[in-house]
Amino acid sequence: PRGRGAPRGGRGGVGAKGGQRVIIEPHRHAGVFVARGKEDLLVTKNMTPGEAVYGEKRISIDTPSAVSGEANGDSGAPATTKTEYRVWNPFRSKLAAGILGGLEDIHMKPGSKVLYLGAASGTSVSHVSDIVGPTGTVYAVEFSHRSGRDLINMATHRTNVIPIVEDARHPLKYRMLVPMVDCIFADVAQPDQARIVGLNAHQFLKVGGGVVVSIKANCIDSTAAPEAVFAREVAKMREERIKPKEQLTLEPFERDHAIVAGIYQRST
Amino acid sequence: MSVDYLLHESSVGYAVFAVKLSSDSVGSRTKEVQESHTDLARFGKLVTLQAFSPFQGAAQALQNANDVSEGIMSDYLQTVLESNLPKAGKKEKKKTTLGVTDKNLAGSIKAAFPGVECETGETSELVADLLRGLRLHAEKLLKGLQMGDIPRAQLGLGHAYSRAKVKFSVQKNDNHII
Repeated sequence: PRGRGAPRGGRGGVGAKGGQRVIIEPHRHAGVFVARGKEDLLVTKNMTPGEAVYGEKRISIDTPSAVSGEANGDSGAPATTKTEYRVWNPFRSKLAAGILGGLEDIHMKPGSKVLYLGAASGTSVSHVSDIVGPTGTVYAVEFSHRSGRDLINMATHRTNVIPIVEDARHPLKYRMLVPMVDCIFADVAQPDQARIVGLNAHQFLKVGGGVVVSIKANCIDSTAAPEAVFAREVAKMREERIKPKEQLTLEPFERDHAIVAGIYQRST
Repeated sequence: MSVDYLLHESSVGYAVFAVKLSSDSVGSRTKEVQESHTDLARFGKLVTLQAFSPFQGAAQALQNANDVSEGIMSDYLQTVLESNLPKAGKKEKKKTTLGVTDKNLAGSIKAAFPGVECETGETSELVADLLRGLRLHAEKLLKGLQMGDIPRAQLGLGHAYSRAKVKFSVQKNDNHII
């Protein structure tokens, strides 16, 4: 849905020009940053500087060279390097909405291996790829061939994304492509999504690994009250040996959506 | 109901592991048993590598990945199993039990090897746990691999596999699941 999330208009703002006026601060979650300018924005450090994935805004910041201690000998002007950040729109990404909503733990950090179910065209995946960085890997599963094409194209520029065009209901089909992972993120919007997450967790998720699931109440049961749907899904996750830790709704970014995070426990 | 051998399919090749100590399935959900699978030192005592047969190239890897995902036993897998599982003797009634991840693949293997019985992760929790352990420690257990070989192979194979999927769809639109 492209038309919906047109980036907030306004003039000037934090374009590439506003470099000096923006300060980047690390977010509570490692790998996520906040850009403090005229307005605060959620950003991630761009793995592929100079490239936007889906036309999102980028912010370039001058940072003093990391080797400042050794640079003393050179005297000269302080060497600066450019670091580029990409703006992460919570209206387009449920994970971003969850982070802004105050998720306690997103179970992914630099170096993590993440299995991402329901990757779509890979817009959110690209931000997860920024978070885990060059030492981590994102295994992005998407069933739709049309979105899969965009996903593959995105992944050609980001070597830490492994595109898998396959049905997440059948994790055995892609078992040769995925190792044990630290976290499963699921945004599949299917009535049986708890089962899908469970199947993948039994196959690929480390003991004690994190599960983050976005639930769209309408997609599970459009007749019941959203709260009842969320409660039922959480109960189903428990049956799949996932211990739920937190649940929050994605207001005001999405209506009748919730994000549930939990821990996979194999031993009872 | 114990398991003698395990088949591990990875992005770099097939591996057959022999199970040295197999616990019974009763206590498999207890904490101690679970920890023995996550700790490499203890898991290494449970299984030994019988044979590791790497793929010869990207084309062969892709071919095998497609077969594995469809539950078909490729010729290469057949030769690997033939040379590494004990031959079925006529006198011995006891069959060799092989732990396989996928029940379709298990069916193909049973059809080709009369002396082999298969257990899958669905029929035996013990097998599921052992196969999880193999996946977790694959990089350390497979001999002759460098760190990073498996992720690199997965990256190449993932792209090849997905590209082939997208290319083969005749109708350019989506298949809807109902």
